[in-house]
Amino acid sequence: MSAPDVAEVRQISSWSLTWRVLATLVLVVLLLDGSLRLKDEAWPFAPMSQYAFFPGPDDTVVITRVYGLLSDGERVELPLRAGTAGIRRADVEARIPNFEKDPSLLRAVSDGWSARNPTRPRPVEVFLVQDHTHLVKGRIVSTDEVPLAQWRVTP
Amino acid sequence: MSVSGWFAPVRAEARVAVLRSVLYVFVLLDVHLVVRDPISLSRHPALYRPRDFAVLLHLPPPGLPLTWTLYAVLVVGCVVGIAGRAPRIAGWVVAAAFTWWVAIGFSYGKVDHDHLALVVALWLLPTVGAVPGGWSSTRRSAQAGWALKCVQIAVVATYFLSAVVKIKNGGWSLAAWPESYILLWAIVRRPHGLGQFLMPYPGVLHVMQWGSILAELSSVVVLWLRGRALLAAALFWMGFHVFTVALLYIHFAPTVVCWLAFAPLERLRPWWRARHPPLEPPVPIPARAEPARR
Repeated sequence: MSAPDVAEVRQISSWSLTWRVLATLVLVVLLLDGSLRLKDEAWPFAPMSQYAFFPGPDDTVVITRVYGLLSDGERVELPLRAGTAGIRRADVEARIPNFEKDPSLLRAVSDGWSARNPTRPRPVEVFLVQDHTHLVKGRIVSTDEVPLAQWRVTP
Repeated sequence: MSVSGWFAPVRAEARVAVLRSVLYVFVLLDVHLVVRDPISLSRHPALYRPRDFAVLLHLPPPGLPLTWTLYAVLVVGCVVGIAGRAPRIAGWVVAAAFTWWVAIGFSYGKVDHDHLALVVALWLLPTVGAVPGGWSSTRRSAQAGWALKCVQIAVVATYFLSAVVKIKNGGWSLAAWPESYILLWAIVRRPHGLGQFLMPYPGVLHVMQWGSILAELSSVVVLWLRGRALLAAALFWMGFHVFTVALLYIHFAPTVVCWLAFAPLERLRPWWRARHPPLEPPVPIPARAEPARR
């Protein structure tokens, strides 16, 4: 091999080394503090709280959905994903009270879906609903749909 | 090993050069496939709640001009970064734009936890500065080792802290989370191949929850592993992510790509060279006598 056996090592001053070690410690403290004390608002030092809760065997699993009614009465799902509606289900779920208070916010989903489905007719009305899946002893026993908000689409 | 030797071990700068290129390619993929909604979200100011750092820095609320500008800056910055030009300036421009971009994506409700290591990497890898020779560089430095170590810490923290939060939220009980019905809950919400198959077996799901939290808790050990043990740990975590994709279609790709900070990427170029030796220089063509006739 033509590569030298002893590679060149770049010099580093003691100050350079010191601030780096201190910066790492600060990073670790910020991350620990974020996960132990702070909330999502502190991102990027937010707690790593994905799935960090404790559903029981008899809980109800809630799934939020939006569907639209076309002028001919056909019902179409507007799937809550970035690629299909421009907004994710979890984003909608985090703002449920806002949607209930002001159903016109459903425009975000309706317009997002229409922009991504230009060949489909626009829904005349959109509905925000939740599927409640009831568990008993860790098994699904029933599902029902709970309406939350509806909005007649305006141009 | 001295304290500073652990925090800033002397490592090949070529690893930083390769990792930077890979991450800038990944950022381009990320803005199109992972955090892909800031532009469409920025049409809906009523749903926006700024993150703390946006308030602290008085960042304006996002609108279409801002999100499109960030997008353009990211594309140009990543292209410059992939080319290895102006590594500090391009690197920090991408770091700032991407942090803002992701923060916007996380300001309309849901905050994901898969971007920590990538954001840390984008901010810290530029501190190494120019790497003479790029991917072929043979220079080694503590500067490179420190940046890589911080990325490694951020990768591990993503797992370890998620276990800490689960234990903390469960009233400091280790068993609360693995004994809960969280996986069933997640599968009901994200019905997907393997998950749907496992739904009728809560016992299996509980075993998987125990495996998951114990793996997350012990992930810190990875920072001290070397050689085959490190390879085994990396393969285990890659398998873990493949499994969560099969189970729930949750990929954590931004964390997965940062595992490359553990990999001896500096061997890539020599390995490639050994298999594709440069062609011998052509034998010079001797000057020929002018033909007698035209």
